[in-house]
Amino acid sequence: MRVLIAEDETLIRLDLRASLESAGIEVCAEASNGVEALELARSAQPDIALLDVKMPRLDGIEAARRMLDERPIPIVLISAFTEQRLVERAVDAGVFGYLSKPFRQADLIPAIATARARFDQLTTVREQADSLAEALATRKVVERAKGLLMASQGLTEQDAFTRLRRASQTSGKPMRVIAEALVETLAQ
Amino acid sequence: MKVLIAEDETLIRLDLRAILERHGFTVCAEARNGLEAVELARSTQPDLALLDIRMPGLDGIEAARRMYAERPLPIVMLTAFRDGRAVERAVEAGVFGYLLKPFREDDLAPALHAAVARHRELLTARRRGSEPPRRIEVRLPSRDGHAWPLRIDRNGDGSLDIQGA
Repeated sequence: MRVLIAEDETLIRLDLRASLESAGIEVCAEASNGVEALELARSAQPDIALLDVKMPRLDGIEAARRMLDERPIPIVLISAFTEQRLVERAVDAGVFGYLSKPFRQADLIPAIATARARFDQLTTVREQADSLAEALATRKVVERAKGLLMASQGLTEQDAFTRLRRASQTSGKPMRVIAEALVETLAQ
Repeated sequence: MKVLIAEDETLIRLDLRAILERHGFTVCAEARNGLEAVELARSTQPDLALLDIRMPGLDGIEAARRMYAERPLPIVMLTAFRDGRAVERAVEAGVFGYLLKPFREDDLAPALHAAVARHRELLTARRRGSEPPRRIEVRLPSRDGHAWPLRIDRNGDGSLDIQGA
């Protein structure tokens, strides 16, 4: 597991790195502000990010929000500030954990483990939902194309479907693409 | 937001209740062991649970597992166990947070809020992934032994189109 850490205070950053490495976790990138954290998230492709909240240029919460927009990974924040307003912003941004400073080494590992596991679970469920939505969208457009074919060519439902399938097989394009093209042409 | 807390040590339990209430949570149930936690989760329907691990009878991880099996809710562990095996078991059970004792007040509310929000996202994704089918085709048996084909389409607005196929 490769972790990106972002912390503007050098001593704390070194401490974070040492704590993670002693637990067998690889630190793949170290940022000292939010903008750098974003750039390193892009170039080092970490599995998880551990971000301080108060940092120069871009704070950890805004950095987390932008990271999640670009390529979702589990994010845990650490901060000396835990006022409700900050926590709310962080939670809205999508972080999986929020630890108070001074951080304790023992707290880091369980926070990372739960963040990672629940993030993976959420990703899996979302992918399943997406593929279901895709299947439903395909079925809808195929039905429509079939109906148009039946009306314009005087085909039976079975024949219309066979034509669509054959077009898909011979062209090597998915049924959805064929059906969409057909709907676009025939519906005009 | 209604929280169930499970903790066998009375003083810690009182402390937890006071802290949570100070942060705007309502403690809807207090359990002293795992079994009681499972029962109270059933009867008081909390929005989230904060569970100790080492408790008499059923431990907190097993209690979490049983709670999840009955009704999905965000669960955060609060424990003195810092060994990897306990963390691993809790993570496998599905917990959304794992805080260590002695706990710090500042860590509690953020962990609970994050757990609730991320759990809500998970439920939303699950619901999206289990939408009922848009079309159902059935055959209705009639008294004279025929079976009448029937097609039911669910429209985007939730209304139904029903027609004999």
